[in-house]
Amino acid sequence: MIEIHLLMLLITVLIGLIFSYLAIIEKDLLKAIGYSAIQAIAYAIAFYILMAPDIVLAYIAIAVGIYSALLVFVVSKTGRYEVV
Amino acid sequence: MIAFIWSVIILTLIATIMISLYGISRRPNLVKKLIALTIFGDTANLLVVLLGYRLIYPVAPPILPSLSKEALQTFVKTAVDPLPQALVITAVVIGMAVNVLIAFAIVQIHRLYGTVDTRELSKKLIQVEGGEQ
Amino acid sequence: MKKLIPITIIILIIFGLAYVMSGKIEPQENVRALGKFYLENSYFGDYSAKSPEVVTAILWDYRGVDTLFETSVFFLAIIGSLTLFRLNKKQEKEAKERIEKVEELTLVIKTVTKVIVAMILAVSASIALHGHLTPGGGFQGGSALAVAPLLIIAAYSKYALEKQGLDKTRALILRSIGLIGIALIALLPLTKGGFIMQNQPIFPWLGGSLIFYNFFEYLAVGAGFTAVFLLLAIPEKVFKKILGVGE
Repeated sequence: MIEIHLLMLLITVLIGLIFSYLAIIEKDLLKAIGYSAIQAIAYAIAFYILMAPDIVLAYIAIAVGIYSALLVFVVSKTGRYEVV
Repeated sequence: MIAFIWSVIILTLIATIMISLYGISRRPNLVKKLIALTIFGDTANLLVVLLGYRLIYPVAPPILPSLSKEALQTFVKTAVDPLPQALVITAVVIGMAVNVLIAFAIVQIHRLYGTVDTRELSKKLIQVEGGEQ
Repeated sequence: MKKLIPITIIILIIFGLAYVMSGKIEPQENVRALGKFYLENSYFGDYSAKSPEVVTAILWDYRGVDTLFETSVFFLAIIGSLTLFRLNKKQEKEAKERIEKVEELTLVIKTVTKVIVAMILAVSASIALHGHLTPGGGFQGGSALAVAPLLIIAAYSKYALEKQGLDKTRALILRSIGLIGIALIALLPLTKGGFIMQNQPIFPWLGGSLIFYNFFEYLAVGAGFTAVFLLLAIPEKVFKKILGVGE
């Protein structure tokens, strides 16, 4: 039975890996913020599967809400595209 | 099977840390560096919580289900380690406050120098230093 | 699709390495001795914190001084952000005036935001005040609370929030009330012959002093983030004028 928990955990962690990779190579910073928000949602589910409900409550509000809003403010004040 | 999935999970998290370290060190934009930094912090937190997990089937969160001595026995047998979780909660919130400070510094840099690209920024800083001497 | 090639290679390498590794690692089935001590003692036992919520008991009782200093790091980080964006009294008044008309959002969004903000306030208070019994606590409730002013800033504007009386100074006062409350509750046991941040037997009811710490931390975290976002929502033109750079 524990295998099912572990498989769910594996899927969320893989989603986190793929979307953090996309967030880092993306040149449009607003899209990168969206990708990192998806990574944050995947990690929130991972925290729940790891039996940490306390962290889920703090992490959902911080990483999906406040952090994305902060970065959107910063991008709107600095510039949208990254020049490589 | 359990050991295989467990090691895939751990290696995936380590790969995420590697990717975010690449982002911190090699991407020129300061905002992109901040995004990579938060991914790094989140992954490190997830690894710490992973250390406290138990690979047994009825596994429970570290909250007493009912206030009786009988419940305590099964609780101690099934609950995960609470100490990493307690440390990570403060790390999440305090890390957010520190990221706010870094974001404010980036906005201030953009106001003063007009760019957040590290290569242009270093050129401008050399100009400013040269101008003062 | 071209950018997905490196990540596919990385995932394949991960699976290959895991196949090699999996024979050598032992699945962890037992909790460490220190964790077992906390699990057994948080409600029953000789070193009880009288709280069924083991994580909050560790946060504010067993490792309370740690959290106290973490709170001071939080205080310093917010103070640092406010110092970077500092304004004097005249400039603050200038920043409160709307300099340009922006298009307002539709009525639907505004009404839905009102309902959702009320719900967020209720949920965050519930998370914080039940923190010693169920999952939750000051940090979690405070960060949920900080989403509410953020929604108002996004749907209305920062000026609407200031017109209702929640400006940066008020948010800082609320945050100071939270921090002073934490300090007072931490020092209170000294008057009864205990030591700093002692919980039992000074506060003999269920949860002990945890509920006070959770409530004050809730105020400090929520109001601290609110103050930061009020500053961040000031348009860039105002700051450029004050600093005398740019256009």
